[in-house]
Amino acid sequence: MSDNKPVIDMRSIVKSFYVGTPNELEILHGLSFTVPKGEFVSVVGASGSGKSTLMNIIGALDRPTLGQYFLDGTDISKTDDKTLSEIRNKKIGFVFQTFNLISRTTALKNVELPMLYAGKGKRERTEKAKELLEMVEMTERMSHMPNELSGGQKQRIAIARAMANDPSIILADEPTGALDSKTGRLVMDIFHKLHREQGKTIVLITHNNELAAETDRIITLADGNIISDIDNRPNLKHSENSVKLNKDGDI
Amino acid sequence: MNFSEYILMALASLKANKMRAFLTMLGIIIGISAVITITTMGNIMRKTVKDAYSSVGANAINIYIRLKEKPKRNYYEDGDFLTDSMIEQFAEKFSGRVDNVGKEENVGNAVTRINHKDYTLSLDGADEGYSVLSMSKIISGRFISDSDVSRMKQVCVISDKQANKMFGNANPLGQTVTIMFKNKTYDFKVVGIYKYTTSGAASGAMSAMDSSWNTRIFIPISTAQRIAGYDTIGRYWEFYLNGAESENVEQLSQDIVDYFNSTYYRNNDSIEVKYYTAEREMQQFDNILSVVSIIISIIAGISLLVGGIGVMNIMLVSVTERTREIGVRKALGAPNTAIRLQFIIESMIICLIGGIIGIILGIILGNIAGMIIDTMSAPSIPAIIIAVTFSMAIGVFFGYYPANKAAKLDPIEALRYE
Repeated sequence: MSDNKPVIDMRSIVKSFYVGTPNELEILHGLSFTVPKGEFVSVVGASGSGKSTLMNIIGALDRPTLGQYFLDGTDISKTDDKTLSEIRNKKIGFVFQTFNLISRTTALKNVELPMLYAGKGKRERTEKAKELLEMVEMTERMSHMPNELSGGQKQRIAIARAMANDPSIILADEPTGALDSKTGRLVMDIFHKLHREQGKTIVLITHNNELAAETDRIITLADGNIISDIDNRPNLKHSENSVKLNKDGDI
Repeated sequence: MNFSEYILMALASLKANKMRAFLTMLGIIIGISAVITITTMGNIMRKTVKDAYSSVGANAINIYIRLKEKPKRNYYEDGDFLTDSMIEQFAEKFSGRVDNVGKEENVGNAVTRINHKDYTLSLDGADEGYSVLSMSKIISGRFISDSDVSRMKQVCVISDKQANKMFGNANPLGQTVTIMFKNKTYDFKVVGIYKYTTSGAASGAMSAMDSSWNTRIFIPISTAQRIAGYDTIGRYWEFYLNGAESENVEQLSQDIVDYFNSTYYRNNDSIEVKYYTAEREMQQFDNILSVVSIIISIIAGISLLVGGIGVMNIMLVSVTERTREIGVRKALGAPNTAIRLQFIIESMIICLIGGIIGIILGIILGNIAGMIIDTMSAPSIPAIIIAVTFSMAIGVFFGYYPANKAAKLDPIEALRYE
């Protein structure tokens, strides 16, 4: 990639929750890492490792308590709610474990939704949504309601929706977690395709090491710290700080 | 995101819960339809009464005697009544200021038998002057004349409807109508036919709502008093007149009353003369109507309040049910304002649809009530505009709290909601 400015630049991110003064619970203890444009990175860790908290911060759903988070070069650690929602709309494409399609509207309308909030015109929305549905091979199902679709189909719609505003990063939270291995494979292939063909930056949150092993880089969290950050590209296997993980993702 | 998108979104979510949406609307429907029904009915009644008054003329005045507020005695004596000579002198004195002076007295109901069936007639004594005041349009023959009165003739004027019933297609003039009154039988010769109308007439203006009016039979007032068994004939409780065109009805009425009271009742410690005008009756009717309107409006207001609370309740349920959806929308970039607007518009649409159904229902109910008195009426446009605006306002007012709650949800919590 010619542009080597990182898409995600986390500097000493601390996140604490107040669970009743004076005690506060620190979940993330000063994480720092960068993700360059076009990287397919996975964040792994057991439950309670701070994975979800980190994901919420990456996805601009939450702000860090301390530290700075530059997304595409802008510091979003101190922005207001309105700006955050704009950032989510334009720069982040969420893919959830449970798909989270809006149940009362068609597949097409679901894909149009982020563009609706971005204030795009009807014709532009529909055109782009159809294009994206074609990309995930769901054109035939575009007027179906979510409850008429299988899990794999729903997730493909959700990926199309995540791509709607051409975001800087796709943030996928256990995207295959609710799918059988065959359809999970299909979904992963779409991510690989987006990465390979469109150069998308993808952050995959998972506790499945096999899936993580498919990505360029594996960041492992435990107890709110990054305990390993492995460059997993075939030609550069195992960098110095790599830590061997067992099957459960524990150290 | 433009407005029509929000409306489509709201309609989609209401469609998903049709029954619930309808039940929620019910309070609004009842409230709005009550208001529209009463305004429609009010319009119908006002129109009916106005028609009756306009036929008698707004310048009709009724002069009558009554007990003073604090009378020395609470019964009437011989000298208390209005007499022919008093009324004649008055008419002379006020000539030019008054147009018709007529006497009328209803002495009660009589029965006539047609084809072995009894019909009730309202027995109405009248004189020549009352012809115009009665506003009963004579379609053949003539009205009661002054000579009929002075000679106490047994002649009558009946409605075309009654004539048709009694004599079929034969010429009713000159025919005999036999009536039973106070256990005696009398024969009256028909001298005139008046056109039957539904909205009453004449001092009928004063009792336009009284349907028995339509069966009235006019006979000379002296004859009426005689067969009613009065000791003295030619004494009256009241009489009617029309003010001349140039006269102010209230002023004229006051002058007449002053004339009578100063001329004849100055020394009477118990009786006085008062007046009554169509205009005043109209006003009184309006007063009654506005009291009824206020009562119905209060009921409707309570119903709308309860309805509004129902809407708020269901919107709160809806927000809770859709917590996850709200989270997703926020994750996809919906700002708080968009979420708030989405729910406010949804609650507004519930209320608006409820309001429209209420308006339609109100018009139907109002006109069903109107059919009973044979008049149809469109509801007042201002009432509809107010009803629509008000129902939308309820939607905004009661929708704001749930919508705001939705808008303020934390996206992370909302996404995690099961």
